Amino acid sequence: MSLFKGNFDYIGKRKIFFAISIAIMVIGLLVNIILGVELDISFKGGTLIKYSFTGDLDREKVESFLEGKTGKTVSVQITESAADKSKVLNIYLAESISMNEQEEFLEALTSEYKDNKVQQINVNSLSPTMGKLFFLKCLVAIALSSIFLVIYVAFRFRRIGGWSAGVMALVALLHDILVAYFAFVIFRIPLNDNFVAVVLTILGFSLNDTIVIYDRIRENQRLLGKEKSIGEIVNISTNQSFTRSFNTSFCAFLSIGTVAVLALIYNLDSITSFALPMMVGIISGCYSSVFICGPLWVLWKEYKAKKDAAKDDKSKGSKKKAKA
Amino acid sequence: MKRTRKSVFFIVALLILALGYTTIFGVYGYYGDRRDTYFKGASDIRLGIDIKGGVDVTFGPKGDVKNVTELQMNGVKDVIAQRLVGNNITDYEIYADMSNHQVIVRFPWKSGESNFDPNKAIEELGKTAQLEFRIGSETDENGKPKGELVLTGDEVDSATAQYQQDDNGNVEPVVVLKLKNEGKKAFDEATKKQYDAKGTISIWLDDKMISNPTVNAHITDGVATISGGFADYKEAASLANLINSGALPFAIEVKSNGVIDPVLGEKSLEVMVTAGIIAFCLVSIFMILYYRLPGFVAVIALVGQVAGSLAAVSGFFSFVPSFTLTLPGMAGIILSIGMGVDANVITSERIKEEIRVGRTIDSAIEKGSSNSFWAIFDGNITVMIVAIVLMGVFGPPSGLWATILKPILRWFPASTTGAIYSFGYTLFVGIIFNFLMGVTASRLMLKSIARFKFLRKPWLYGGERA
Repeated sequence: MSLFKGNFDYIGKRKIFFAISIAIMVIGLLVNIILGVELDISFKGGTLIKYSFTGDLDREKVESFLEGKTGKTVSVQITESAADKSKVLNIYLAESISMNEQEEFLEALTSEYKDNKVQQINVNSLSPTMGKLFFLKCLVAIALSSIFLVIYVAFRFRRIGGWSAGVMALVALLHDILVAYFAFVIFRIPLNDNFVAVVLTILGFSLNDTIVIYDRIRENQRLLGKEKSIGEIVNISTNQSFTRSFNTSFCAFLSIGTVAVLALIYNLDSITSFALPMMVGIISGCYSSVFICGPLWVLWKEYKAKKDAAKDDKSKGSKKKAKA
Repeated sequence: MKRTRKSVFFIVALLILALGYTTIFGVYGYYGDRRDTYFKGASDIRLGIDIKGGVDVTFGPKGDVKNVTELQMNGVKDVIAQRLVGNNITDYEIYADMSNHQVIVRFPWKSGESNFDPNKAIEELGKTAQLEFRIGSETDENGKPKGELVLTGDEVDSATAQYQQDDNGNVEPVVVLKLKNEGKKAFDEATKKQYDAKGTISIWLDDKMISNPTVNAHITDGVATISGGFADYKEAASLANLINSGALPFAIEVKSNGVIDPVLGEKSLEVMVTAGIIAFCLVSIFMILYYRLPGFVAVIALVGQVAGSLAAVSGFFSFVPSFTLTLPGMAGIILSIGMGVDANVITSERIKEEIRVGRTIDSAIEKGSSNSFWAIFDGNITVMIVAIVLMGVFGPPSGLWATILKPILRWFPASTTGAIYSFGYTLFVGIIFNFLMGVTASRLMLKSIARFKFLRKPWLYGGERA
């Protein structure tokens, strides 16, 4: 029995898969509680200025120098590109600052560290209120897409119990949103608009996967519905779709993985913070569609069947009583 | 069953390769020094400021200002646009977000200018506009207005563009100017003087003359009409906006700003192009090794899909306007290389299954194609829904998708960077071309190529080796 041979028992082993997912959720949650999550400037407001420089600078000295000079609380970070060893000085402020103040920062740095060729390469400044509102907008966008997607699935698969299929797909989607979120937490990437792009793409991608499997279930139910149980049908369908799910995800993973590796080498954080969580999300999307969505749906169907049976028993029982 | 001709494969493949070649290299004609662009190539793609370097600013009313009108926001937008052009910056993007009272401006680093000071440029753009009404239109040797000052922006209430009938009964666009009480008296005197002298009262914004109408009447009530000389309504509206921008009851401040150095962006562009090429090769190798003949067809289709995405960005097709490509936008194209093979993967898997239960090659292709259609369709729709939401949330507030989603998203400010919008767009066009190439073109090619005798071996379609 193996995944690629087409006779894997997804339903029988569902407890293992549920356990894996729950374990990932718990680990992610723990890391989240211990380390917390950071919001990027685009969500919380504030200022990030990047300067390129040569030679060596001491992080703490720059920090205390700038604080003394400008009277603002700043935090300083130094990053280095693995490819060409170019160094970048990152300066964070919790507030947005005016153009004049930005100029002051640059002047202070260039006059204090004359030998280091300090040059401003990037500024990003946003007022906190705007950041908060934009963050809300992004959350609304995620909720909105989820709703649209579930409605679409429910509509397309109304013949195999559309809403239950839609709701199970939603559970898988929540799974993927959480995993993508934990990827940001664990990689210590501040949440920014890339987060929304990643989450939404993963939603679309994962649902695409789920739909292909549902499509198979629908087809097989028509062909084998009378002779096989629902669990067997889901098993057969998932097996038939597995190679496809795996190969497509593998190709997507290859593509975005190439981007992530190159971005890491060349220290392009705006791309790394996009590609790295996307890689994780693609794996999660494939996993949730294959190992979570189908088995969960069977669990639900079995539960409903049992409930219906119990109801039947009850009504039969009461009829007997009436006869007696 | 109607059979697909053998030649179809070559026709489709050649068309795709031709599209690929022209979208990358473009088609240009040369007449001496003049270069005419017939089809835009990859070098014509408008790159976002995260690649080219540039400035990304959001302006809004300073402090907590209520009751900001659409007229006033348009004024802010137009004066900023005028200042950009005045600074020789023409390839800017500017949007006004009416519900959140913001104007978002994006412009690239001026090419060839190494000591361009972006901070100063932003400061200049956000300055309060200086509106002045002056007698006559004379200037001193520095080009500054010399005529006697009649009014400043503080005394102007509003300007609106309207249609009005002239003396001959023709309808023409005009600008109706309303003054505040403080300005009426000065205007009264000035129009009396200039009416008698058959002179003009000129209007200046930031020391640049925006209009110089002849005074045709003595105006006492502070309501004047500027007519004649407007080619169309748009021109009148533009003058009205500029006047309004000089009469704003609030100052403008920078709400957010981003400055990106061009050197950093250039490196990112190289990295992303390299990543794209490597990703394309890896996926192609995988497809050919795993799916053999259908995999080979898939690779040709993939060329078409990437070419289509590039074409949709560069403005290759005259009916699709060009689109700014950002780093996430490029990531979107690369991602759709990986996701795009899905249609071919689904079909190839189905064909393999049919071959393995003993069908002939023709009927396996036929059945595999028809069985997989709805799965591919549904799957593509989900990604499309997501791409639309992305464009609506991160796109300019006046964009198509943003307008559709407005009832839900109107309370939230527009995105201050255009990076993700571009990603949504490339994802979106990637899906459309995926459908065209991965489904229609692939099937035509596969059915046609399967007519060649030496290619009619089940092994080539995923069957066991005989």
